Formats: sequence, structure tokens, C-alpha cells
Amino acid sequence: MEVLRLQNLQKSFGSVRALKNASFALNEGEVVALLGDNGAGKSTLIKAISGVFPIDRGDIYVRGEKVSIRSTRDAMDLGIETIHQDTSLAPDLSIARNLFLGREPVKLKWLGVFAPLDFAKLRDAASALLKRVGISKKLDADALVSTLSGGERQSIAISRAMQFAAKVIILDEPTNNLGVEETHGVLRFVKEVRDAGHSVLLITHNIHHVFQVADRIIVMRRGEIVAEQTVADTDLLTVESIITGADMSALLKETRAK
Amino acid sequence: MIAAEDEMPVGKRRSSLIRSPQFSSLIILIVLLAVFAIADANFLSPLNISNMMAFLPELGIIALGMTLLLTAGEFDLSVGAVFGLAPVVVMLLVQNGGVDIGIALLAGLLLCVAIGAINGLIVTKIGISSFLVTLSMLLVVRGAALYITQGFPLKSWDQPGFFVTLLAGSFNVGSFRFYTSLWWFIGLSLLAIYVLRYAKLGNWISAIGSNRNAAVARGVPADAVKVWLFILTSVLAGLAGMISAFRISAASPVAGTGYELEVIAMVVVGGTALTGGRGTILGTIVGALMLRAIRNGIVLIGVPGLAYNIFVGLIILAMLILHALLQKNAARG
Repeated sequence: MEVLRLQNLQKSFGSVRALKNASFALNEGEVVALLGDNGAGKSTLIKAISGVFPIDRGDIYVRGEKVSIRSTRDAMDLGIETIHQDTSLAPDLSIARNLFLGREPVKLKWLGVFAPLDFAKLRDAASALLKRVGISKKLDADALVSTLSGGERQSIAISRAMQFAAKVIILDEPTNNLGVEETHGVLRFVKEVRDAGHSVLLITHNIHHVFQVADRIIVMRRGEIVAEQTVADTDLLTVESIITGADMSALLKETRAK
Repeated sequence: MIAAEDEMPVGKRRSSLIRSPQFSSLIILIVLLAVFAIADANFLSPLNISNMMAFLPELGIIALGMTLLLTAGEFDLSVGAVFGLAPVVVMLLVQNGGVDIGIALLAGLLLCVAIGAINGLIVTKIGISSFLVTLSMLLVVRGAALYITQGFPLKSWDQPGFFVTLLAGSFNVGSFRFYTSLWWFIGLSLLAIYVLRYAKLGNWISAIGSNRNAAVARGVPADAVKVWLFILTSVLAGLAGMISAFRISAASPVAGTGYELEVIAMVVVGGTALTGGRGTILGTIVGALMLRAIRNGIVLIGVPGLAYNIFVGLIILAMLILHALLQKNAARG
């Protein structure tokens, strides 16, 4: 089942064409890795999908329906949750408050932004969520995020995306600045997220991680999608050569021959 | 910080309260009050307490707005100038323009709304730091006050009435004399505590100051919240200026000079982080009481007038060092 389809997305910044005709589709319950060198257009693409800025041309379909995404709120309402590197949580707020940031459970809803938070609901939902994603033992819903490790923060951010039944979860460099142990934790978590039926779009520099969790690989270069392959049909060297545009496997054969 | 108290079981809540910045500020306030009371018996006399309580709300009201603004990661240096300009405009309209006082007060407050909105829009939409924007605004507003009065204080106010009583009426409790401004301060404080700790908006304010990008990514309208907080701070500064001017029945174009720093000192001494994300209204109330008590007590115990800012500065520094050390400890624990 197709969850998200992008058709001929284009975006320019002044004279720079950051995206020239990007098209691809994302299916239910799969992890797709988006690869590419710096400046290949990966972040432009995900920012367009997550509503950070509007696209110039092209269409976005969610579950077969054409949609227009003009703000981050639009994207969230369509079930697209984006987790940006290091910037998705507020460190001075508790885990519970972070989990519901922007969608706080309140009483007396008619008071608008002045409505009181429903603390009982907030705490219960947060604990239930932490338990569901298997990180209840260590973490207290009332703990401040500033007291958590980088890996724990990523897990919290991903859990938050799952809780709103997001169809598509976009992870932007989720393993940046993490230790080996924590990286494995996050990657394991990504698999669990997929097994729970969510689709994941994973942006990363680290090809090794891709081979551990992804089902499919999409490679971008200079604003275009240059390759799309299932992980089972390819290998590390091939992917690396597509990213850089150089034929690495040929290069390797050459050096081996010598 | 805000999250820590209301959502925890009682035992944990108690220990986190003791380690919280507003609690350490409270202890130091009590110690200071005790020292002043022992050093000079007049410190706790009804007359002196009445005196302190007359001044306290005027800066305290501005400090409430400043706390919310600082928690959202911005600050406002133009509050002292707005404190001066707003009552000057109101009294000029009534005395020279023959405008009804109710309409004049409304016009004064609308002027404050405009000043706050300009501050907020330039900071958020053009992206210039609030330090620079509000510093420039300080000069513009103070300059405007001086220009429209030609630098002279206005003639004294001699028209009592409903609005004057509402802003600066006084009442006696035993041998204490209090002003209605104390009620304004108490009411606004309760409102600010509610908003920051318990309301959805408070969650947004803290999140914006803590990590603006995270808040925006969750759909929080960060720029709009900030603009409204600039407006609120400006309006509270203007209101405080009017209260002060009606209490002493005179408006001066230089009133409130230096108040911006005094107010920011109150807020940070109370434990609100200058860098945003962590704000406490209770701490600000303690900070306001503390600065008022220091200014008053230091004179009473006989520190020479010219040396007195040295002590005020040193006590503020000591408080900030204490907060920094507590913060470090908390991070380690």
C-alpha cells in the first residue's frame, strides 16, 4: 500500500535549483533510506515534505490523495512527522510535556491557548507511551529532557512521532553525535517502528546504518534522484559509487589487480 | 523547572522544590530581611513596610511580563522608557488636550501596544536580536517623552476620580498603608503563575525559549507568541508607569530611567534563566521583594548613599553565582 508519493518536485533558491524533478513513492511499513552527498538536495526534499517551505512545482500524494503542504502543521495533520537532528526536543521541558508539545491535552478547551493542561491525562499518556515503546523502566515521564542521553532523546522523539499514529516518520540524521551503543539502540528502534506499521524515511550519511535497517535506498545527486534500489539487490560499494558519481567498484578492482 | 513541581509525587516534589532556584532565592531573602531587621529596628516598622509595598508593585508588575518574555528567550530594554512615556502622554492629553481621562488612559495603553508590537515584529520577522531592537526603542521612546514635554515634568495632577483610585488609591490596614497597586501586582502575579505553569500557552513559552526550532516543528506559533509577549511587557510597563505617576500625582519624562536593568535583575535573581526556557514567576516575586528590600535596607543600616549601588551590584552577583552553582550541581546529579 502506497502511503506517500512525490511527483516531479521542484524547488529553487534564487538561481540555485535545489530540487529538479524529484519523484518517488513510499510504501506502508517500509524503511527507505535517502542518501546523497552534502548539497545533493536531501534536506530540501524533506523540508518540502515536512512543510518547512512550500515547493515551486510538483505534486504530493498521501494515500493516493493529492495534498498541499504549506506549514509544518499541515504535514503533521496529514500524518507526516519529521524528526530533525538534535532539534526536536525542548531540553528544559519534561518528557511528558515534550511528548505532547503542540498537542497538549487540556481541560476547558474554549479557553484556547489559556486552557489549563490536563496533567493527569498528560502523565498517564506519557507513561503508557514510554511503556509501549519499551523504555519505561529507565525513564520517568516527569524527568527533564536535559537529563537524558542523546540516544534516549532520539527514542523519545521517535516515540512522539509514533504516538500520533504518523503514517510517515522522517528521520534526519538520527544517529548523528551518538555513541556506538546508542546508535544500535536507535536503529533497533527504527525497525520496531516499521514493524508497528509506520513508514520511515531515513536520511543519513552513514551507509552502514542503511544496510542494517533499510528496505530500499534512494540516492540523490545535484537535486535529482539518480538511483532507486532494494537493499537486497545491491551492496555497499555500488551505493557508494552512485552517491559520489565515481565507479568505486571499478576503482577497487584496479587496486586489487595491482 | 516548571514541569518539575506540579506533576510529581509529593516526596519527590519536596526535594525538587528545595533544590529549585526560587527556593534558594527565598532562603536568601529571609536571611536578608532578618539581617536588616536586626541591624535596624525601623526596617520592620509599619511606615517602612508601607513604603516598600508602595514601590514594590511598580517594578514588580513589569518584572512579571519580563519573566514571561525571558522564558521565551527574548528581553526588553525599553520598559523603563515606556514607564516614563505612557503617563506623560496620558496626563498631557487630559491637562492640555482636554481629553476624558478614560480615553486618555486607553490611548496611553494603545501606544504601549504599538511599541511592543513594533519591538516584537522587528525581532521576529526581520530577525534582529531583541537586545539591539529594544535598545534602539529605549532611545526613541525616552526621546519622545523628553521632546513632547520639552524636558520638564508636567504640572502636578489635581483631578481625583474613579480611574485614579483604581490605579493609585490607598487604604489602611491597622497602621499599614497600602496602595491598590498591590492588588494589581497580586492579581497579575496569580495570572502569570497560572499561564506559565498550568496553561497550554506556558508550555509553548517555555518550549520556545528552550528550543525554538523544536517548538516550531511541533506547530507552535513561536513568532506570534513572542510578539504578544513583547506587547504584554510593554503594556505592563506603561501600566506601572501610570500607577507610579498617579501615586505621586506627577509625571516626569525621565521617570523609570534605569528600570530596565533593575527589572531584569529582579527576574534573574529569582532564578529565571537569561538564556530562556526556564522561568519562574514565584522566583520573580521573591527577586522583586529582594531588590526592594536591599535598596531600602542598605540605606537604613547606614551605607553611604553614594556607595549603595556597590552593594546592590555585589548582592546581585552573589545571587547569580549561587544559581549557577546550583544549576551545575543539578546537571551533575
